[in-house]
Amino acid sequence: MAYQVSIFLENKPGHFERVTGVLKANGINIRSMTLTHTVSGWGILNLLVDQPEKACEALTKAGLSAALRKVLAFGMEDHPGGLDDILMKVSHAGVNILNAYGRIISKNEQALLLIDVDDYDQALATLAAEDLYPLEDHLVYGN
Amino acid sequence: MFWEKEFETLRRKDLEKLQVDRLKKTINQAMESPFYKELYAAKGITAERISDVKDIRELPFTTKQDLRNHFPYGFLTQPKKEIIRLHSSSGTTGNPTVIFHNRHDIASWANLMARSLFCAGIRDTDVFQNICGYGLFTGGLGFQYGIERLGCLSIPAGAGNSLRQIKLMRDYGTTAIHAIPSYLGRLYEVFQAEGLDPRKDTDLRIFVIGAEPHTEEQRRRIEEMFGVKAYNSFGLSEMNGPGVAFECTEQAGLHIWEDAYLIEILDPETLEPVPDGEFGELVMTTLDRQAMPLIRYRTRDLTRIIPEPCACGRTHARIDRIAGRSDDMFIIKGCNVFPMQVEGVLLRIPEVGSDYRITLEEINGADEMIVEVEVKKDWFNGDIARLEKLTRVITSQIRDEVLAKPIVRLVEPGAIPKGKGKAVRVIDKRKQIATQIQTT
Repeated sequence: MAYQVSIFLENKPGHFERVTGVLKANGINIRSMTLTHTVSGWGILNLLVDQPEKACEALTKAGLSAALRKVLAFGMEDHPGGLDDILMKVSHAGVNILNAYGRIISKNEQALLLIDVDDYDQALATLAAEDLYPLEDHLVYGN
Repeated sequence: MFWEKEFETLRRKDLEKLQVDRLKKTINQAMESPFYKELYAAKGITAERISDVKDIRELPFTTKQDLRNHFPYGFLTQPKKEIIRLHSSSGTTGNPTVIFHNRHDIASWANLMARSLFCAGIRDTDVFQNICGYGLFTGGLGFQYGIERLGCLSIPAGAGNSLRQIKLMRDYGTTAIHAIPSYLGRLYEVFQAEGLDPRKDTDLRIFVIGAEPHTEEQRRRIEEMFGVKAYNSFGLSEMNGPGVAFECTEQAGLHIWEDAYLIEILDPETLEPVPDGEFGELVMTTLDRQAMPLIRYRTRDLTRIIPEPCACGRTHARIDRIAGRSDDMFIIKGCNVFPMQVEGVLLRIPEVGSDYRITLEEINGADEMIVEVEVKKDWFNGDIARLEKLTRVITSQIRDEVLAKPIVRLVEPGAIPKGKGKAVRVIDKRKQIATQIQTT
C-alpha cells in the first residue's frame, strides 16, 4: 500500500521551499510531486518520496500540516498508449480520479501512475476486478 | 428652522430642570422592572434623592452584560400586552441584546427621528429613499417612522441591489438618502458603469450617513461624488437606534437630544467625569422611554462634548464623531461585531482551533472582514474538497452570527501570531477610519 505525503500550503513566496528544506535536512528523496492551488490563496502539495513516514514526521515536527494519504500506484509501459491502457480500466471500473501524477522508474524502463481517489478500499476492489493491481511499495518508492 | 423650537432651543437652565423631572420619572418607571427593582432596593436608591442632574452620579451603571444576563424580560417595566415592538442584535452564541418599545416609545422615537432629519435640512417635500436593511436592525424601521412622521414621501428600498436603487432614484426623483458610508462608494461606481452622473442624472440633495465610523475626508468625498450635503447620524440600538444625535446644517458636530437622553462623558478607567471638550466614554440615560428605560448605560463609544454653542441656535450639546471604543467592538458593513462572536462560532466547529485573526481591509472599494483560521494538523488529510467545504461552513456560520459575510482564509498552523491582548486578534487596515481598536 503506497502513501503520498500531502501538505497544506499557503500560496506565498518561500512556503514551498520551507518543505523542501525540511526534506533536504532529513535526507529524503523526492520521486514525484504535484502542487495544486485554490482561489482561496492556499493549495496542497502532494509528494511521493522514498521514506513517507519519516518525511511526514519531520514536516509535522517543523510545524506544517502534513498527512500520509493512500494512493493507488500502478505500473505502466513507458511507451505511447501506456497511460491510456490503464485509464481504460479505471474508466471501465467507474473510479473517479481526484488527482493523478506519474514517474519513470529508470531501472526497468517502466513508468508509474499514481492516482488519488475518494474511497481507496472500494477503488482497490473495483480495479482488481479489472485485473489492475497496485505495485509493491519498494517499486513505488525505490529508484 | 426647528421641528420643535420649544424643546430644541430651551435655555440650558430650563433644559436641566426638564432633565431632572424626567430622570425622576424614569427612575420610578425603571423600578417597575425586575432588574432595577432589585438593584435599587439593594442600594436604597429612590427618585427623591435626585435634585440636580449631577445626582445621577450616585446611581450604578448598566452594561451590555446586564442586558444579556437578564434576557429577555428582566428590564421590562410593563406587561407584554403594552409592548408593540422589539429590536434585537443577532447573538446566536450568547443572549442577544433586545430592546422593547410600547406605543409611547415608538412615537417618541419617530419624533426624535423627524426632529433629526429636519435639523439636517430635510422637509416634507423631500423624497426619501432608505437604503438600509429593514427587520431587527434599527436603521430600517427607525428611519422609516421618522421619515413618515416628518411627512416625506418614503421609499423603503432596503439594502443592496444598486441597479434597482438607482432606478428607484430616477423613477421617483429621490432627493434624500440614508445609507452606510462604505456603501456609497460602491453605489457611485455603479452609476459610472451605467454611464450616469448622479450630479446631473438625479435630484439628490441630502445624504444621511451613519451606523459606521467615517472621517471628515470620506464625507467630503461622498458630497463631491454625488453633489449633495452629507450629514452624520449617530445612534445605538440600546438607545432606540438612529435619532440619538444628528448633525445640523452647520456640519460641526452632532446635537444629542438632551430632553430624551441624559449624557455623561466619563474616563473609562476611573469612571469619573472628564472636563467638557475632552474625550471619554459616552454614558447615557433614557429620559423618555417607558417600556424599557436604561439608566447610566455604558455605550463604550468614545467621544467628547463640543463646548461652544452652535450657530444654529439649538441649545442641546454637540458630540464629536465617535473616536473609537473602550472595548474591542468594531463595525463592518454597518454591523457591530465583537471578536468574541467570531471566536464563539469557531469554537463550535471542531475541525478548527480557536486561533484566529480578523483583518478589516478595503478590497475593491468595499470594506471586508477577513477571518484567518489555522488548519489543524490532526484534522488535515490532504483532501482539497474537505478544506473547501470547511471554508464554506465557517463563512456561513460567521455570517449568521454577525450578519456580515466574512472572507475566510485557511492558513498554515503557526501563521497566526500568538500573543496576549485583543489587539492581536483584530487588525484594522481601513485607512479612512480613525478608530483604533483599544487594548484593554
